[in-house]
Amino acid sequence: MAAGLFAGLRVIDCASFIAAPAAATIFSDFGADVIKVEPTGEGDLYRSLHTRPGSPMVNRDYAWILDNRNKRGLALDLKSERGHEVLARLVEKADVFITNMPFPVRRKLRTGYDDLKHLNPRLIYASFTAYGEDGPEAEKTGFDSTAYWARSGLMDMVRPDADAVPARSAPGMGDHPSAVALYGAIMTALWRREKTGVGGHVDTSLVANGLWSNSYLVQAKLIGAEFPPRPKRTHVLNPLSNSYRCKDGRWFILSMVNEARQYAPFMHAIGLVHLTEKYAVQADRQTNSPELIEIYDKVFAEKTLEEWRKILDAAGITFGIVNTLDDLLADDQARHARVIVPFEDKSGETISSPFNLDGETKRPPAEAPSVGQHTNEILREHGYNDAEIRKLRETKAVA
Amino acid sequence: MSDQLFAGLKVVDCASFIAAPLAATVLSDFGADVIKIEPPGEGDAYRRLHANPGTPKSNVDYAWMHGARNKRGIALDLKTPQGLGVLHRLVDKADVFITNLPLPVRRRMKVGYEDLSPRNPRLIYASFTAYGEAGEEADKTGFDSTAYWARSGLMDQVRADSNSLPARSVAGMGDHPCSIALYAAIVTGLFKRQATGKGGLVSSSLLANGLWSNAFLVQARLTGATIPPRPPREESMTATSNMYRTRDERWFNLAMVNDEKQFPILVATLGRPGLSSDPRFTTTELRRANVRALMAELDDLFAQFDLAYLRKTLDAAGITFGFVGTVDEALHDRQMRDAGAIVPMADGKGETISSPFQIEGTTKVAPKPAPAIGQHTDEILREYGFADAEISAMREARAVA
Repeated sequence: MAAGLFAGLRVIDCASFIAAPAAATIFSDFGADVIKVEPTGEGDLYRSLHTRPGSPMVNRDYAWILDNRNKRGLALDLKSERGHEVLARLVEKADVFITNMPFPVRRKLRTGYDDLKHLNPRLIYASFTAYGEDGPEAEKTGFDSTAYWARSGLMDMVRPDADAVPARSAPGMGDHPSAVALYGAIMTALWRREKTGVGGHVDTSLVANGLWSNSYLVQAKLIGAEFPPRPKRTHVLNPLSNSYRCKDGRWFILSMVNEARQYAPFMHAIGLVHLTEKYAVQADRQTNSPELIEIYDKVFAEKTLEEWRKILDAAGITFGIVNTLDDLLADDQARHARVIVPFEDKSGETISSPFNLDGETKRPPAEAPSVGQHTNEILREHGYNDAEIRKLRETKAVA
Repeated sequence: MSDQLFAGLKVVDCASFIAAPLAATVLSDFGADVIKIEPPGEGDAYRRLHANPGTPKSNVDYAWMHGARNKRGIALDLKTPQGLGVLHRLVDKADVFITNLPLPVRRRMKVGYEDLSPRNPRLIYASFTAYGEAGEEADKTGFDSTAYWARSGLMDQVRADSNSLPARSVAGMGDHPCSIALYAAIVTGLFKRQATGKGGLVSSSLLANGLWSNAFLVQARLTGATIPPRPPREESMTATSNMYRTRDERWFNLAMVNDEKQFPILVATLGRPGLSSDPRFTTTELRRANVRALMAELDDLFAQFDLAYLRKTLDAAGITFGFVGTVDEALHDRQMRDAGAIVPMADGKGETISSPFQIEGTTKVAPKPAPAIGQHTDEILREYGFADAEISAMREARAVA
């Protein structure tokens, strides 16, 4: 793949699961050559996530095809001396090395920044952790459900109300934004490298990203703001900023930030023009919120989501549909905006990296590799002859 | 600050609220010179959010403090020819221009990509929208609660169980990750400019980021998977990756990916080694088959200890778990500070949340106060070659404030 912004850029994805590898995926979308290094045998544990009980069921590894599209697969036993030598050869020629191994593992396998940086002064070493590079918890493992979602206060705050049980996060919903931060950090170092000729170490973590996501409330807490109790949806303070259920059981959220302008057209559009004046003053709406929410609940229960969509759109009201995954199968906007894009082989669709550069066409996503699918090809590119490759395979240093 | 990565980089933040302006904030953390343009009078509507009912109450505009740190503020009425003229002068010298004005508004005000980029071929024009740059809904407005959280399927999925109510997102929880995507796009554009000498349009949207966040489940659905209904925790299929409650009523997430290795360690550490040799629970398959019984045992077990004890003990034993933190705890969370995620303000009075990544060898700017409306108007206008008489005239005409 010689085309694209990152044509010729070599990225080693020596990481597992989502947050760190998906940063490499973004590079691949823009044409970088990404080598996915996996342990021999079962490879990246992420491959088996879709078979866990409770995961969506289908006989295709949807997780793998999403986050490892476009990559070439190399299977290495990094515990073996020969396997480590292969990695060293890759690192010498690479632009970017990405890892999320816990620090104790990096020390054991000699894949830490201090182990590798002398091989290549131009290398960008991208480190991903759960809790950061320093501090008493730097060596802890974590997942986005723990370090991004739970630790940051998001899990505690994102519930229908304070009495409800906290909600579990959706798989990867913290990992994927974190991958964008790692990509951003790597990009910043690449930009710097153009000026200085030198690479360097960049890092991000789940906890940093969870806090960034929740920073509105965390900043409020840091300056000592008083937090209001979280009422049930039937009693929220602002009925114009609430979720409502339609006749067909579908939900939408009203999100009228400019109430002064949208309130009257809204009341008119939903057939409550006779009540417009009664609740015209914002303070009155808030004092009488439970009563008004009850009125709205009854009104919205009279029509389906599709009917309300048309009515509210026509009136210029800001609202959002609570989409189900099923709805996304038919979401035209997501396709027109090039957010959901087809695989190159037309075998299906996937979700694109969340930004675009005009004038840059992303490569049509190609399939993700099987374990060690490109081992021979990659070894040859790095100067190994056939006899050496055979030896590496025999000693199980590669697969 | 000459060791600052982006020292000398000129950024015009002509946006409002969070997703777009915070991309400029990240650039400012690394030393960029950010000029914040606001309408005269009330300025950026984001300044008023903290006064809304239902949000945390304080005299301090905490939202503005975090989001507009380091920036210099100029108040311009872009609907006046003079105001637009000032914008042109800023854009002519800028490296980056950021906007989240709806596309029809940009066309009307003549601040779209087609209007500004011919003036400055090196300009990175960073566009942020709710639903993307093309398609039927490209002109629509949206917020992170609608276009990131609800539209992407996240709101539908993130609930205690399929029968419980969908949960409201909290303020900015989608916007902030979006700001990182826009930042990343801008730096990518700057990188490309190093090779080509030319700027260009970069873009991101709430929709793109919401779907990226929810990509695991969306990809599952796109691939034809059946999404199982989310059971209440009491009916969950895995005891070793689930939520539990402590004696002091705190929740935590147990996330044992390698439960073969970790389950015996967990129960031994907490004084019930017999559980791992219990014939119902000796292997992963058995633990899944007997999930109800195992959950009952673990419910009992964890309810004997306070969170602080569990944290210390399970961390030491290497068990992956995460307690459900409250924002209160962020006040004292040492790890967040050691990791550089929470940092002190430059004047030592207070702390804020840093941009969520680090570049070794470059120090971030210690966060400086966010500007009052038009706090730096005169200074900026003079820098851009306006004489005092011109400045007075523009103030009188209310083109600037």
